[in-house]
Amino acid sequence: MTGRLLRLELRNNVVPWLLPLVAGLFWLVTYRTSMAYPPLWNVRAMTMQNSSLAVFVPTVVGAAAWLGSREGRHGIAELVTGSARPRWHRQLAAWAATTCWSIVAYLGCVAVLYVATAREGAWGGPLWWPAVVGAASLPAFSALGFAAGALRPSRFTPPLVAVAAFLALEISAQFIHGDHSRWQISPVVSNLWSIGPDAGIATFYPYLPDLPIAQLLFLAGLTAALLGLLGLPAGAGGAGLRRSAAVLTVAGVLSTGAAIGLAGTARLDPHGLIAIPALHDAADDLPVGFTPACAEAALPVCVHPAYRRYLPALVDGLRPVLAELAGLPGAPVRIEQVAAEYEHEGGNDVSIRRSGDSVSGSPPVFNVLLPTRPSSDEIRATLGRDIVQHLTGGGRGAGAAQQAVTDALAHTGDLTPGSPAARFAALPAAERRAWLTAHLPALRSGQLTLADLP
Amino acid sequence: MNVEIAELTRRFGRTQAVAGVTLELGPGVFGLLGPNGAGKTSLLRMMATVVPPSSGRIRLLGRDPGGYGPRRQIRRRLGYVPQNLGFYPRFTVVEFVEYFALLKEMPAARVSRAVATAVERVGLGDKATAKLRTLSGGMLRRVGIAQAIVNEPDLLLLDEPTAGLDPEQRVAFRALLRDLGQQATVVVSTHLVEDVGAACGRVALMDQGRIAFDGTPDELTARGEGTGAAGDAPLERGYSAVLAQVRS
Repeated sequence: MTGRLLRLELRNNVVPWLLPLVAGLFWLVTYRTSMAYPPLWNVRAMTMQNSSLAVFVPTVVGAAAWLGSREGRHGIAELVTGSARPRWHRQLAAWAATTCWSIVAYLGCVAVLYVATAREGAWGGPLWWPAVVGAASLPAFSALGFAAGALRPSRFTPPLVAVAAFLALEISAQFIHGDHSRWQISPVVSNLWSIGPDAGIATFYPYLPDLPIAQLLFLAGLTAALLGLLGLPAGAGGAGLRRSAAVLTVAGVLSTGAAIGLAGTARLDPHGLIAIPALHDAADDLPVGFTPACAEAALPVCVHPAYRRYLPALVDGLRPVLAELAGLPGAPVRIEQVAAEYEHEGGNDVSIRRSGDSVSGSPPVFNVLLPTRPSSDEIRATLGRDIVQHLTGGGRGAGAAQQAVTDALAHTGDLTPGSPAARFAALPAAERRAWLTAHLPALRSGQLTLADLP
Repeated sequence: MNVEIAELTRRFGRTQAVAGVTLELGPGVFGLLGPNGAGKTSLLRMMATVVPPSSGRIRLLGRDPGGYGPRRQIRRRLGYVPQNLGFYPRFTVVEFVEYFALLKEMPAARVSRAVATAVERVGLGDKATAKLRTLSGGMLRRVGIAQAIVNEPDLLLLDEPTAGLDPEQRVAFRALLRDLGQQATVVVSTHLVEDVGAACGRVALMDQGRIAFDGTPDELTARGEGTGAAGDAPLERGYSAVLAQVRS
């Protein structure tokens, strides 16, 4: 019987009429933004979670408010009041139909984005938690809209409550201050808000479900509380039904409160995600196994397979430097990408650096952290120079000879004509290499001066 | 008796809409006449369990609608067409009637057949799949009647049911009322005294919240004879004579 009522509501629901609008907005706001990133599941999924709710929440809230206010707007309240089925039942049927359509639409949009990402050859599998949190938001916001419409049945209620929900959703994230902010419970948040979707997250280490679990607890609680509220008034049904509604409301409020409390205990995980101690599983701290993707640029240059797309730029940027350094005493035998390490520095400040030392193992491997959007020039200027400095001892506090050789080898810019660096760079490659082979240990230890350079 | 009402009152703020009505109704068609503001709609709404009485006693279908459980049982066997009948414009005729069949908690196995029967009985079989927004006012009124009779109610309450119906439809509707009145108690509130004369076996006339007359249409007609009361038809003259007598 309830199934039949639901089918009737599904057939006459307003959400299918809004699907073209939703699809268009999703394409404009979410799909284009996500697809502008490289095909990495992490950034695309997190971008989707951040932006898709801005499309779906106002639509779903408005549609639900429209349905919720239906009896009042159409002057049918008296007729349905005189029917046997409790008001709460018929309200739940209308709400469920709206929610079903919304979730189907949402999952359809997510599927389009994920299929497009998979077709681009993204490594690994889709991140499901952002999609689950997004989908779980819809029943809650649908309940919010429905309750508003039922309590204030007017044609102005749907647009007003839709705009209010949109603003509340967008503003909620602006209150986030630090990694223990309770506002992180907002479903638009996928990781520390000040970082945003970051390529270094959830690749070397698994996506932490801690915050999503708390968000699901919050959203389920919100849904239960709002739906329970609809069943509390005297006209909603019999005493037993209203008791059930009261229990649902209380359970919802408790769940919502617990989730907000859990969000308040969150901290930034070293791998860039939000960890909640009470929900944290230590198994999620173990790195994800992978076979690196490598290319040859005088030395093997290897990256995590998720970043395979970056390899040509990396090789292109490092090749001139590595050609100079390969085989020299103390030179690395391999360049390898490592995970980023995130550290909360108070407020919304976060430091992101390479995890571990720059050089590890024997023979030495040089560990690099990829820039956010790597280009050959940027790689040469940053990673290339880092590798050279490691060999020459250049960098902060280095001597003039170390600095000159670093500048000459790094190939990063114009050298002042006649300067020691320019003279060194102008040497024939074989002569420069012979000098480096003979003097690199002394240069690195700071024993040479400009006068010692050829 | 399907309806047992004793000293029933209903106040809306300072307004006494119903002021001590006593009625007992069994199967048959019962007409409720009266001028605007007489309290007919308020009485009907109490009988429809939409509003509770302020005082007095009411039993419907042998149950007290004051308790939730009995009220729900009454509503399963009740049909109601309110004066201001709203619709969901996106529903089709069949969907709207089915919706109310489900709200009346009809057994699932009976719903489809009952809906089809109700739609046919009001003469909308050829419009069964039409959206309500495409129907005329008279057709919508008939959809309202279809939803009221879909559960084959034991108590059918109709508030101005013939408003908007053309003469042919009204004739058909009166026949339907007589048919329904064979088994059920049908209460028809109307301004149209010819409806009462043609379809009702018993009629009450309300004025200022009270029953001013309770009898057969013939008895009401007799009250107007020789009084010189205003009216084009005998029943109308009876109606006017009773009101004049009460107000004097």
